[in-house]
Amino acid sequence: MRRTLVTFLTLLLLWALVAQVNHVLSALHLYLFVGALFVGYAALMLPLRDGLAASLLGGLLCDATAPVAFGTHLLLFAAAHAVIFHLRDRLPRDDTIARLVVVLLANLGLFLLLSFSQIGRAPAPAAAWPRLIADLLCSQVFLALVTPWFFALQFRVLVLTRVERDPLA
Amino acid sequence: MPFRRLATARPFFTLGLVVVGWLVVPIAVKTFLRASFFELTAPVTIATSYAGGAQDVWALRLHSQGELIEAGRDLTRLNSSYEFSVQQNTELQGQIARLEGLLRLPPFGDYRLEHARVARREFSGWWQRIVIRKGRNFQIPVGAPVVFSGGVVGRVTEVGALTAVVELITSPNLRLAGVVEGDTRPISFQGGLNPTFGPPRGIVEFVPLDVFASPTATKRLVTSGLGGVFPPGLTIGEITKADLGPDGLFKNGEVKLDERLGSLTEVTVLVPLNPE
Repeated sequence: MRRTLVTFLTLLLLWALVAQVNHVLSALHLYLFVGALFVGYAALMLPLRDGLAASLLGGLLCDATAPVAFGTHLLLFAAAHAVIFHLRDRLPRDDTIARLVVVLLANLGLFLLLSFSQIGRAPAPAAAWPRLIADLLCSQVFLALVTPWFFALQFRVLVLTRVERDPLA
Repeated sequence: MPFRRLATARPFFTLGLVVVGWLVVPIAVKTFLRASFFELTAPVTIATSYAGGAQDVWALRLHSQGELIEAGRDLTRLNSSYEFSVQQNTELQGQIARLEGLLRLPPFGDYRLEHARVARREFSGWWQRIVIRKGRNFQIPVGAPVVFSGGVVGRVTEVGALTAVVELITSPNLRLAGVVEGDTRPISFQGGLNPTFGPPRGIVEFVPLDVFASPTATKRLVTSGLGGVFPPGLTIGEITKADLGPDGLFKNGEVKLDERLGSLTEVTVLVPLNPE
């Protein structure tokens, strides 16, 4: 329970920071989507129940602040969590590059699924894709920059709250 | 071996349980959850907005006295022209009231102007919205029109205790009836074309055949006041293209919207005084 809540608090911080970046980028008509970061650490490093609960809470947080059917992010994040958790034993999950690749692929999948679910409302769906691709590219670059930091932050917060033990201590 | 297979399928079994569980959760619980998480984010949004405001104030304090004097002088000139406009406006309001009395016309809807600071902007390819720093605490209703100096901003779609969400006219979810300035025939407007780095655009349908527009000879599109919450005459954008539609009865076209919609900092909510 404590592990879930602490992880969720880091997700709340992530949401606030990304919202601020998007606020500034709105003048350029750019938008960063970092859905995979809401799932990545929980799916790769935490036990199934605690990790999934944190991912679901992250999904609810995103759902409450987006004009989508309530539960869209929740179900997408749950699916991403299940897939990553299923594969995690076959991945070198302590390696930063491997974590980064997992997060980038998961973000690509989530972005495309969300785009397909939303694009039907656009008056000219084909005309919307160049914009979506630009957003996706910027999001992936942003993710590549912040994922190592955010994973380290989540681990450090869990150590500070004595949920996890520091292997170096 | 079967146990091992079961163990590997556990995440997907759990996912199935989550999906089924979510489908059977009553709507009331979902509504409560949505409202709870929305209100959970409101203090974060407001705190970051106030922090940004404080940052701006300290940045402005670095300006020299000379710059302040210049700004004050410019403001005085602007105020005198606005005072003149206010006098003209009062005169015109009086004329409208007299004509309404003479012709026994129903009066136009009256609004209370509620100015609000923009706390958060979201300008994605999927949706475009802003969060303002006023909500139920200022009696902001759902559906209220929102405007700024450049015309229509959008419509209030969600109201929280301290914040409200405004869907922008650039969003594909927002449709409204407009007219070409000086014309009375309604045209359907929908947002939704928002290229990166470029001005937002929308589309118009059911444009009369005798309306011609091109990038060099644009037509101003304003709200019609028909079948919606927006009062008539507010600027929506400039029609830059109008081509014959597939049915041959009407034209379809494109509208260039105000570029400032992506960088709004202050908006005005028109709160109806006599909601029907």
